[in-house]
Amino acid sequence: MKRILSTLLLAALAVPAFAQKAVTVKGSDTMVIMNARIAEAFMKKNPGTTIQVTGGGSGVGLAGLINGVTDIAASSRPIKTSEVDKLKQRFQTRGHTVPIARDGLAVYLNTSNPVRELSMPQLKEIYTGKVTNWKQVGGKDAPIVLYSRENSSGTYQYFKDTVLLQKDYSPRAQTLQGTAAVVNAVSKDPNGIGYGGAAYAKGIKFAKVRKGATGPAFEPNLTTVRSGQYPITRFLYFYLRSAPKGTAKQFIDYALSPEGQRLVSAVGYFPVK
Amino acid sequence: MKRTVTHITFLIVLSLSLIACATSGADPNTTPGGDPAMSGEGSMSGEQPDQQGEQPQSDSPQTEGADMAPNPDEPVASDEPAESPTAEELAGRLETLTEAFTETRNTVEVLNRMRFSGYIQAQYVNDERSVDVLPTPTTTSNRDQFSVRRARVKFTYQVSPTARFILQPDVTSSGVTLKDGYVELTEPWTTWRNTLLAGQFNWPFGFEIGYSSSSREMPERSLIVRTLFPGERDRGVQLTGRGFAERFLYQIALVNGTGTSQSFDFNKRKDLVGRVGVNFGPLDIGVSGYRGEDLVSNTANPRGVTFDKEREGVDFQLVTPIPGLGFRGEYITGKERGADVDGWYGYLIQNLGTRHQLVVRVDEYDSNTDVNNNAIRTLGGAYIFHWDANSKVMIAYEEPELEINDPDDNVFTLRYQYAF
Repeated sequence: MKRILSTLLLAALAVPAFAQKAVTVKGSDTMVIMNARIAEAFMKKNPGTTIQVTGGGSGVGLAGLINGVTDIAASSRPIKTSEVDKLKQRFQTRGHTVPIARDGLAVYLNTSNPVRELSMPQLKEIYTGKVTNWKQVGGKDAPIVLYSRENSSGTYQYFKDTVLLQKDYSPRAQTLQGTAAVVNAVSKDPNGIGYGGAAYAKGIKFAKVRKGATGPAFEPNLTTVRSGQYPITRFLYFYLRSAPKGTAKQFIDYALSPEGQRLVSAVGYFPVK
Repeated sequence: MKRTVTHITFLIVLSLSLIACATSGADPNTTPGGDPAMSGEGSMSGEQPDQQGEQPQSDSPQTEGADMAPNPDEPVASDEPAESPTAEELAGRLETLTEAFTETRNTVEVLNRMRFSGYIQAQYVNDERSVDVLPTPTTTSNRDQFSVRRARVKFTYQVSPTARFILQPDVTSSGVTLKDGYVELTEPWTTWRNTLLAGQFNWPFGFEIGYSSSSREMPERSLIVRTLFPGERDRGVQLTGRGFAERFLYQIALVNGTGTSQSFDFNKRKDLVGRVGVNFGPLDIGVSGYRGEDLVSNTANPRGVTFDKEREGVDFQLVTPIPGLGFRGEYITGKERGADVDGWYGYLIQNLGTRHQLVVRVDEYDSNTDVNNNAIRTLGGAYIFHWDANSKVMIAYEEPELEINDPDDNVFTLRYQYAF
C-alpha cells in the first residue's frame, strides 16, 4: 500500500507545471481596445514578452481569474463578494486590485435624435420601461428602442447599479454582445438608445447627462469626469490573484506610467494618474 | 451554455441573412405587390426553370459533360437584365425577416435563462478494512474498488430576475438521488436581497456542509459533519440575506429534521437551523445552531422515543498574508440521541502556483463525551493537481485512529474530477 502511495505521489509531483509563456489579460469588452493598445506598446518596448488580450466580459475575466486560466482579469466593475469568496476558497487569496483608468459611461443616441440631454432619473425610467416614447423626454413621437449588454458585462452591472439603482432592466431591452455592437445598433436606429464606454463614439452622439431632474447636463470628457460633474463615471480595473510580479508587474507598471496613461487617454478613457 | 446559445443565434442570423440574399436577388419574376414571404420561398426552391436558366453554366467547369447539355425543352436564359425588387418588396421581406428574427430572439432569450453545470468524480479507493467476502445483494466488505463517487448535473432556470428554479440530481453506481431541488425567490426592494428557498437544500449550518464537493480539498467531509448531518440536506423553507456592505450573512431554515435519506418526517415538530456569518477581510467567522427532535424506534415503546437534537457550532476561514496559504476550522457540539457529542476539524491548504495544492486535515469526533476512549481522530493529507479550468486529480491518504489504538483502516483515494 505504502509503495503504491509513494509511487503515485512521486508520479503526481513529477507532472510538469507548464511554463507560463505569456501573461494573459481577459475580461471586459469595454477595456479590450485599451488593453490591446497598452499590450502592443509594452511588447514593442520589451521584446520577448507576450501579453495576450481577450474580451468576453468582466464576469468572464473574473471567472477566468478564479479558474486559474488568466493572469489578469480586466473588469469594468468592482469584483463581487461572491467572486472574492471563490478566490479565497480556490487560491486562499482575496485578490489584488489595480485601478487602471477611469471611464465616463456614455449614453448613446442616434445622430438624428433631437434629444440632447437626459437626467439620471429619466434614464432610469427609460431603461426600466416606465418611459417608452421619446416624446415623454422632449423628443419626437416615436417608441424608444433600448439596447443593452449581456448580463456577464461589467458595463451592464455598473449601469444597473448606478443608473437603474439596482432595479431590473425592461424586458424590451435588446441584449447585444459588446459595446461596439451597441454603438452600431444605435447608429442605425433613429429611435435607439444605448450605453457604454466613451471610447466607442463612432456614428452616434452622446447625450448630455444631468445628475438630478434639474441642473446642468454634461458630456463625458476629461474635465467633467475628473471633476465629478459627469455623473456616470467608474474605474476600470485589473484584478490579479496576488500582488503582481515578473512580466505581469512590468506590464501593470507600464500601464500606470505616464506613457501607459497617455494610451488610456488616446482610446477615449481617462487616466487615473 | 451561453457560448452555445450565442453560436446558435449567430447561425440563425447567418441563415436569415443568406435567405435574405437569396430572396432579394434570385427571383426577378416576383409579382409586384405579391406576398413577399411566398415569393421568397419560391425563389429558394431551386426548382424553377427560370432560375436554372440564369446560372452561368458555360463558365463553370462543373457544367461540362452530357448531363449538363442544354435541353431544348427548357426555357433559355434571357439576355435582358434582371429586374431589381421594388422598395415595397424589399420592405415586406425585411418585415418578414424582422418578425422571424424577433421570434428567434425571444426563443434564444428563454434558452439563455437556462444554465446547467455539473461534475463527475471517478475514483479508485484502497481501504485497509477491505476483505474478500461474497457479497449480499446490497453490500460488500470489499472497499477496494473503482467507482463513480459523484456525477451531478445542476439545472438552473432563471424564471425572472427575482425567481430561480434549481434542480440537482446525483447519478452514481448506486442509483439516482435528488440532491438539490428548490425554488428561490429574492425580494427586489432592499440591498440585502433577502431570499426565500423552498424545497430540498443544504442545512445552513457551519462551513463544510455548504462547501461544494467539487471544490472540497479532501475526498469526503469530516467525520463529525458526516455523522451529525448525513446527506447534508433536508426539506423545508429557508430565508437568507446579506447586508452591511455584504459583510454580514444570515441563514435560517425550518426543516423536517429527517434529512434526505427518509421519504417522510416521522414527527410533527419541525426543526430550526441557522447560521450567521461575518467577514473581517481575510477572516470569516460563523456561528450556527440547530434545535429539533429525533423520534427513534424503541422495542419497549412502540410509539418510539423522542430525543432532543441539538447542535451548536463555530467556524472560521482565514487567508494569510503568505501567498496561497489558508486555514479553515470548525467546532461542533450538541446532543445526539441522549448523548453529548462534540468534534472539530482543521484544514491547512497551501497553493503552489495555479495548479498545485497541498492539503492537511485533522478531524476528531467524540460520539459520547461522557465515555472515555471512544473519540476517533483522523489525520489526512492530499495533493491536488488542477489540470485545467475543468479537471483536476486528487491523491489523498487518511489515517483514522481511536484514542486507545490504531486499527488498520487507512484509506487511499485517487480521484479524477471533470467539472463543466
